[in-house]
Amino acid sequence: MKYSYINPRKKSIFTPELQLLLTFFSVAFFMLIATYMFLVFKDYRFVKDKSDILKERTDLNSSIFTMNKKIAFIEKESMLAEKIYTKNAVLKDSISNLFDLVPQRITLSQASLLKNGLILYGITPNKDIYNFMLQAPLRSIFQKSYSSFYPAKNGWLRFVSTNYMGESDVRVNDADSPEELIGEN
Amino acid sequence: MKINISRPNIYLLIVATILLVCVLLFSFLVLIPNGKKYREQRIELARASQELRKYEDFNNQTLSKLKKLQSKNRYIISAFSAIFNPDRFEKENSVFFESLKLSKLELLMQKNDFDVYEVNTTSKINSPKSFYNFLDSINKSDWIISVNFPINFKREKDMIRSSFTMKVYSTHKKNL
Repeated sequence: MKYSYINPRKKSIFTPELQLLLTFFSVAFFMLIATYMFLVFKDYRFVKDKSDILKERTDLNSSIFTMNKKIAFIEKESMLAEKIYTKNAVLKDSISNLFDLVPQRITLSQASLLKNGLILYGITPNKDIYNFMLQAPLRSIFQKSYSSFYPAKNGWLRFVSTNYMGESDVRVNDADSPEELIGEN
Repeated sequence: MKINISRPNIYLLIVATILLVCVLLFSFLVLIPNGKKYREQRIELARASQELRKYEDFNNQTLSKLKKLQSKNRYIISAFSAIFNPDRFEKENSVFFESLKLSKLELLMQKNDFDVYEVNTTSKINSPKSFYNFLDSINKSDWIISVNFPINFKREKDMIRSSFTMKVYSTHKKNL
């Protein structure tokens, strides 16, 4: 019987070639999975970022809408205030012009300023002075002008001058109503 | 010619082929579609971010416009929201009149976010100049007020009795 004098070589399934192969593929798989994980993470971040951007856009949209509403309202306030200030200034000029119109020899006892008319009560030394010095300028301003006279105690004449513009009668209510000033919008 | 490949090498070759197929399958079926999707998403995100920046710019522009308007019209805004105080009005304008009386403030109308209140006024002045000064000062008052027709002036000895209607405009609905 023959015996071997060397010890038996341990045989392993993991030969150096297989180890090399497994190492190579392990590194390759690791890199592939790392890339995959990166892509999955980026996909998750994309969904999150997209939803954040959408939310931010909605917030900005609503903020812009609110601000635009405020801007429109301030512009409306400013326009209305300007109209009112102009109206008051025009009113002041109208009253000033009216009193400048009355000559010194004629004395007014009452004046009613209407939107499109004017009623004056007063006293005049005679009709000529009234006609030349008050009636003439009133006629140039108003489309219709009526005067009536009645004698005063001192020999002068009391007069009532009714003047108005346009076809309609004198309107007591003004046309620059708040509805018109504020407008439709 | 006979190729002599040992059995372990054949196993090694089979394992290597299987692993290579797995790598290729994973790459082509999973990684490449995901990579394409990532590239598309990156472009989409960049576009959305650009759009968002435009919105932010527009928002900033609108905000600066609003601030500018608010600072330019600060006086008008506060005048519209101010609560009309008849006593204070009488006190502030008493310099123009010998006497000034206001009737009770009444709500005339509500339209387009504005309330309009009406107040009748009777006063005594010693010259029309006082009334002009009053009309000048009313545009600088703490409220938005318009003086309306009809306006009556009646001589009473050395004084002039005037009566007119004022309209107070307000955005303050409940507090007036």
